[in-house]
Amino acid sequence: MIENFLAGTATLFGDPFTIGIFIFGVLGGMLFGAIPGVSMLTLAAILLPFTADLSPAQGVMLFAVIYCTGTYGGAITAILFNIPGAPENAPTAFDGYPMTQKGMAGKAVGAAVLCSAIGGVASALVMMSATEPLAQWAIMNIGPPEIFALVFFGLAVASSVGGRTIWKGWLSVLLGLLIATIGQDPVGGINRFNFGYSDLAAGIAFVPAILGFFAVSEIFIQAEKNVSGKYSAPKFNVDFPSFFELWAHKIAVVRSIFVGFFCGILPGIGATLAAFMGYGEAVRWSKNKSEFGTGKLEGVISSETANNAATGAAMIPLLALGLPGGALTAMMVAVFQMHDLEPGPLVFYNSPELIWIVFAAMFYANLSILFVGLIETKTILYLLKIPFQFLAPMILMLASIGAYISRGLVLDVIVMFIAGIIGFLLRRSGYSIPGIVLGLILGKIGEQNFAQGMQMVHYDLGTYFSRPICTILIVAGVLTLLKSLHSAFFQKPKVT
Amino acid sequence: MGKLGRTDIFEAVFWLLIAIIFFAFSFNFNQPIEIYKFGATGWPRVILFLMALVALGNFYHAFSKGSKAQEGRVGAKENDDPIEYTSTGQYFKTGMVLILPLLYAVSLKPVGFYSGTPIFIALIMIAWGERRVRFILTNTILIYAILIGLFMLVLNAPLPQGNMSPFYDISAFMLKTKTQLDQMF
Repeated sequence: MIENFLAGTATLFGDPFTIGIFIFGVLGGMLFGAIPGVSMLTLAAILLPFTADLSPAQGVMLFAVIYCTGTYGGAITAILFNIPGAPENAPTAFDGYPMTQKGMAGKAVGAAVLCSAIGGVASALVMMSATEPLAQWAIMNIGPPEIFALVFFGLAVASSVGGRTIWKGWLSVLLGLLIATIGQDPVGGINRFNFGYSDLAAGIAFVPAILGFFAVSEIFIQAEKNVSGKYSAPKFNVDFPSFFELWAHKIAVVRSIFVGFFCGILPGIGATLAAFMGYGEAVRWSKNKSEFGTGKLEGVISSETANNAATGAAMIPLLALGLPGGALTAMMVAVFQMHDLEPGPLVFYNSPELIWIVFAAMFYANLSILFVGLIETKTILYLLKIPFQFLAPMILMLASIGAYISRGLVLDVIVMFIAGIIGFLLRRSGYSIPGIVLGLILGKIGEQNFAQGMQMVHYDLGTYFSRPICTILIVAGVLTLLKSLHSAFFQKPKVT
Repeated sequence: MGKLGRTDIFEAVFWLLIAIIFFAFSFNFNQPIEIYKFGATGWPRVILFLMALVALGNFYHAFSKGSKAQEGRVGAKENDDPIEYTSTGQYFKTGMVLILPLLYAVSLKPVGFYSGTPIFIALIMIAWGERRVRFILTNTILIYAILIGLFMLVLNAPLPQGNMSPFYDISAFMLKTKTQLDQMF
């Protein structure tokens, strides 16, 4: 492994053009992740056609680096503006934004930098040492029933965070699941809920929906405060967390690495669920549950460690099985296909140099989050000083371009603003926007794997539950739902 | 009426209407799939059934306990400083904030990005309460220049050009100028 890693490092840093691409990926991912309204996906969508001129190793490496640094970059907007750069940063906003409101933005961003780097580096190390055995394990033990079970568990966890009541949490997730059914059904390809619009046959795209629910709705909420004279600018502060503050959360970091890696390794799941589960587990094991959501450093730490820990793991199903775990890894498949390559087990034998350049680049990209991130953070915090009247139209315009670019459809910009209006109204009433988005992302994966799982076991639930991983996850999901149902009926409302 | 508020009733009606309307539309694609017993409608109908059930639960919760946040809910914020609407002018202002971006999106196809964007930026600033003419003008130009510089000149991103004269001609002029600049450098 070490020889391969060194060979990958030598190839990566032996060619000035490849170094240039690496640096571009690191800075581009961080910058696009950290600009409210656009995300790493916007940059990736713009760059996709240009990768045809690069070598396959350079093309895939560029996307892998953007994936690592962009996942971190999205945390900055989540913390500073309550606008997660990507869905995997949504749980970061639960505690990160309240910290900004309390004048602790520097601490939250500093923790995000460090924990993203730790999670990413740990994940890259495991990825390098165990991609092949882990892929073998996944092939043997993870099938559609297990993926459906994990989606079910993840949605159960997601419904328990965010909404003002458990009922609102569930309704948010169900709305996301309903939106995900728009378009062709994953088994028979039959058009559903397209209301006569042919553009809706492909379904509601994630990028505009996510931008609408997160970025546009937040801008509308701030704009409403602005026109009512109740807007107050977030407090500016550049105090970083001390070593001891972070050391106190070492268990949360280790736990989130495991959770993130496990979620990332499963095909189709990706970093979003990892972040939610990392955050959910932090709440579950905490002695002070009620402090979460009010600006607790552990919330930021657990979410950011888990989502970056999933980035390395997500490369395992992609490279070993050819299965992307999210939108950006799906674009990496497109890069492979542009160069007449198919990701899968054969890549390890046919193009080992490509694999090891990508692994080495991801390792160094995660390390660079630590160094570049700390320098960048001091600068990026000055975003808080930009007046809202300038920042808000800028974010709306960037979001419009981000929504349009991915498919070149004006419909996507319209969908984004409609999602923004719906998000604005639902947030005012205490519904959970991350819940809607997670339902939207996992809905199709859940349905597809449920259908395949049912076909596999010939609709026999006994066979379904004879699979241990599947049973454990379903039981855990049901227990989570029952616990929240119990609290819904027997708990008193908050006294305010 | 227990602890029910007007919004609680509205919310219940909203969710139940969604469930009923989507259920009615599900008959449009109620076709069997040979390889899958539950067909194309199975999954969405389960979601709709659960949605109706949870909406009733939400209604019961509001009836018995009011609409305050539940104890121990993570990431749920109680709106401690709610915005009270006291005049129609306030409704109008918030309405404009919500509708203007949607109008911009709808106009992108005929008007295009290059012509529509500066107008929209200026209008949105006015809708959000900004009245200083110099501030609006300078910031509109600055934002427009950043967007054009980054997406048109640096990243070469394809943006909507519009299909109506004279907007289409303006877009064509800008793209032609950009090509000439590319050739010069």
